[in-house]
Amino acid sequence: MAVAVLLPKLGLTMETGLIQEWLVEPGTPVKPGDLIMRLGTDKVDADVEAEAAGIFHPAVAAGSDLPAGTLVGWLLEPGEPVPSGDGPAAPPAETGATAAAAPAEEASGDIVVGEPGALTPPPHTGRQFASPLARRLAGERGIDIATLKGTGPGGRVIKADVLDAVAAKPSAPAPSVASPLVRRAAAVAGIDLATVTPSGPAGRILRADVAAAAAKAAAQPPVPSGAPAVAPAAVPAAVPAVAPAPGEVIPLSGMRGVIASRMLASLHEMAQLTLGTEATMDAAVALRAQIKEQWSAAGLPMPTITDLIVRAAALALRDHPRLNASVQGNEIHVQTEINIGVAVALADGLVVPVVRNADQLPVSAIAAQTRRLAQDARTGHVKLPDLEGGTFTVSTLGSYGVDFFTPVITPGQVAILGVGRLRDSVRWEGSSPVRTQVLTLSLTFDHRAVDGAPAADYLRSVVSRLANPLSLLA
Amino acid sequence: MTDSIGTVPIAVLRDLHRRMVRIRLFEEEAGKLMEGGRLPGFLHLYVGQEAVGSGVMATLRDDDVITSTHRGHGHAVAKGANLRYMYAELFGKETGYCKGRGGSMHINDLSIGMLGANGIVGGGIPHAVGAAFAAAYKGQDSVAVSFFGDGASNIGAFHESANLAAVLHLPVIFVCENNGYAEFTPQERHMLLRDVADRAAAYGMPSEIVDGMDVVAVYEMSKKLVERARAGEGPSLLEAKTYRYYDHQGVKGLRIPYRTQDEIDLWKERDAITAIEQRMTKANLAGEMELQKVWDETRAEIVEAIRFAEQSPDPDPADLLVNVYTV
Amino acid sequence: MRELTYVKAFNESLMQAMAEDENVVVIGEDVAHYGGVFHAFDGLLKTYGEKRVIDTPISEMGFLGMGVGAAARGLRPVVDLMFFDFIGVCLDQLYNQAAKLKYMFGGDVTVPLTLTTAGGAGLSAGPQHSQSLEAWLAHVPGLKVALPSSPHDVKGLMVAAIRDDNPTVVVLNKRMLGTKGPVPEEIYAIPFGQAETVRSGNDVTVIGVGRMVNEAVVAAAELAESGIDVEVIDVRTVQPLDSNTILDSVRRTNRAVVVHEAVTFAGIGAEISSQIQEEAFDYLDAPVLRIGAPFSPVPFSPVLERAYIPDSHRIVDGVRHLLERQGA
Repeated sequence: MAVAVLLPKLGLTMETGLIQEWLVEPGTPVKPGDLIMRLGTDKVDADVEAEAAGIFHPAVAAGSDLPAGTLVGWLLEPGEPVPSGDGPAAPPAETGATAAAAPAEEASGDIVVGEPGALTPPPHTGRQFASPLARRLAGERGIDIATLKGTGPGGRVIKADVLDAVAAKPSAPAPSVASPLVRRAAAVAGIDLATVTPSGPAGRILRADVAAAAAKAAAQPPVPSGAPAVAPAAVPAAVPAVAPAPGEVIPLSGMRGVIASRMLASLHEMAQLTLGTEATMDAAVALRAQIKEQWSAAGLPMPTITDLIVRAAALALRDHPRLNASVQGNEIHVQTEINIGVAVALADGLVVPVVRNADQLPVSAIAAQTRRLAQDARTGHVKLPDLEGGTFTVSTLGSYGVDFFTPVITPGQVAILGVGRLRDSVRWEGSSPVRTQVLTLSLTFDHRAVDGAPAADYLRSVVSRLANPLSLLA
Repeated sequence: MTDSIGTVPIAVLRDLHRRMVRIRLFEEEAGKLMEGGRLPGFLHLYVGQEAVGSGVMATLRDDDVITSTHRGHGHAVAKGANLRYMYAELFGKETGYCKGRGGSMHINDLSIGMLGANGIVGGGIPHAVGAAFAAAYKGQDSVAVSFFGDGASNIGAFHESANLAAVLHLPVIFVCENNGYAEFTPQERHMLLRDVADRAAAYGMPSEIVDGMDVVAVYEMSKKLVERARAGEGPSLLEAKTYRYYDHQGVKGLRIPYRTQDEIDLWKERDAITAIEQRMTKANLAGEMELQKVWDETRAEIVEAIRFAEQSPDPDPADLLVNVYTV
Repeated sequence: MRELTYVKAFNESLMQAMAEDENVVVIGEDVAHYGGVFHAFDGLLKTYGEKRVIDTPISEMGFLGMGVGAAARGLRPVVDLMFFDFIGVCLDQLYNQAAKLKYMFGGDVTVPLTLTTAGGAGLSAGPQHSQSLEAWLAHVPGLKVALPSSPHDVKGLMVAAIRDDNPTVVVLNKRMLGTKGPVPEEIYAIPFGQAETVRSGNDVTVIGVGRMVNEAVVAAAELAESGIDVEVIDVRTVQPLDSNTILDSVRRTNRAVVVHEAVTFAGIGAEISSQIQEEAFDYLDAPVLRIGAPFSPVPFSPVLERAYIPDSHRIVDGVRHLLERQGA
């Protein structure tokens, strides 16, 4: 079956790419991983690997500057004709519509999508020995190593066994052909690519297909039995985790795998440092009480403390653009929008839906959005666009009784604000103790982009806005 | 008023005195820094043996090469090394003689013919033979001096080097500073000879024994052997009987005393610096004021050198691989 | 091209390097009047005289150290250690002195010294005259170590070693001394750290050290008859090691065999194997195989010695094992 070669999107801001050079001659057989083209973008030059095996046939000439997602060539079986419509195809509909979900990971390559039902690992059937190369190929070609008979030394599964299996099952559900970007999008949305109906050239799965699958999945939320169908957004209950059985081996795949690799990448790649400070919340608490009656009468959603903090954080970012940025290579890219991600815990993981242009939204609109997003996230309704484009993150563990923590920066951002538990404290007026309500804010920032003093200044600015909450209503 | 002691003129006496004072103060201050916990690593101090290094070095030119030992500060100071870079090296700083890569036991300065202290006992002795070989090969009249202790005279590298220098007829002076101890083992328990000088006969080379607490005697004997080597008459061995005031490593011995206080006091009574000052004063070659001025000037120089070292930057870990290879 | 024996190519490298640079001197036991026990230094005394070709007492520590001192003072000594096995009696001057002087003296001192020696088994020279100890030296930062596998390489690597400002060790293989091969007449240097792909192939990469490269070539020819396409790489120098050439090849062939004459355990093959798994793990279709000597001293008996030294048959067997497909 012919496999389309599409122009990959290599970066958050990449619109088009210039094919500087084809690295293989037309008619050359290539293996997965062989370099086939040198691509120039506005940021970097990169060599692009073949994602499948086949005989390479270019569909466009070297020197073409084309939008990401354009069909630029084919990988064919021996003797197979070039599929009709040979030539630059129109870019898939979603190209350029949304930004990548995980910009910081873009260079790191493929994310292996979890097996179906990743939370319940297959019964342990003993270890199947396979060479590293065979494992990699099997992963790329969607072959389950456990189903193969190894013919290599010591009964090991080797490359030839995987290729034999690929050849032997032409009518089997084809290994999902999808770009790393699409694989990542699917992983973020918790969608198994094997269940996605491809609509791209040569059976290639497009991002639109993933979005459609996500929407379909949302219509039948896979709620674990016994869990509330909709968790209250304002005061999240403890997330009912699926308790692992003793001795169970939980694969780091699917959403778990994405979280694992993104968090590790975040800590590996950034110089993270956390500042903590106490915010006095008496005025904010009083304000909520004050507006409660009025707003509910007007049909406005009641803002949570977190909503007020999202608003305060967004407004403060206007004065501290360095914290609303992305480190890319040797450059700090200051973002044009202030889009605040709000972390939401799920049964086995978390998602971070995004409140776009949070600095320009009134608190009531923020409240409405966070309520909807949290609900969607918990019921599996969350849409890809709602997960993308975050420039700064707020993460709350206060409802779990946590006073202070050191949040980990979302890859592609430079800071995250952690919100602790709203708790009683004591303030001294002269020699008299006065009851007061406080919470601890912890700001983790990437020291590559921001120094301690400006970061502290930002934190102070958030605290002062919370102490004078009327400004947040303006 | 005479202007010499024996054949040694006043200018040389002043020079010898200053070299010894510089060593003494350098080492005493290094000892204090170490005891204050300010210096990393080992420190083998030369205090007590100043007359040997000073007496020999005053007979050498800058193009004469010396190799030294783990107890090498005195040789470096006497050869004319810069005290700033020496202290900086003791602190492990980038400005040190070894850029912080070697430490106390590897101070070297080829511009003044100091081919390095060496952390391996006997390790530098063959290098002196090689330096003498190179000088002879190039037709130069410079000589090489290798310093080592009574302990090192038991190691193969000494014997191989002595024989090699003799066979190849090279201008090497082997200077054994016999301070009576191989680390903590007294000489009578590490060799049956009383004089290391006896070993020269085994290699067909002449030897001399000199009082290592008498800088004038060391100077005169070294001058004779250096001139002999320079004249192409081959290698020789000079044994100087001397004493180490401080412990093998550091200042005070912390474990079992292996030598008596009486023994230490006896040697200190014969202190080389005190002795030369008394002789110069007695012969009216120097007044107390003049001698005191040497101490004061040296002290000021050392204070400044230590300040320089302390204020110098540490090496950059990014440069960890610099100088592993010549590229 | 004209053919020379391995030992004659070595001799020519010295003849030409001494003509090129008057600071080159040769120091060692019986190198002058006797011409070296393997005739490696024949004629040097006659051409360059006693000033530049120096017989020494049997004092390896002394004359190697003398070479270090002379190198530090501007000469380029070639110091000969008759047998690699004697390295122990002078090792301090090599690994603590020559290798470290530049680094620990802060960079001002260079030691452009070349140590030549003869290693390897196969002549019934017994346990103390047959060893391959290159892994000891490759482990020491500051040293460079070459093991030429042909007359052509011995000349080029020797010239490179003598011109190098770092201490270098060139290990000749005793059993190859009489081997003939093409050698250019002019002086030329083969850079350290550049492996040579002696034979191209697609199925497996055999990485050879020293004489074992030739055994690998013989094995490759035999395997080609069964349709197995072997790539053979000669590392030429084990320090620096040309990892890129090795890794590029293994990423293509997906299989690797490392062959050396030294004891397998902690030999240079362990390093190469480890680098392959670290850098090319996902390209491996079989474990990396090491072929070396068993963990014993080199035996004297010709029968035992033949069983001891790796050869083309062991390489053929190893490659077949890596490529076998059970029931396929």
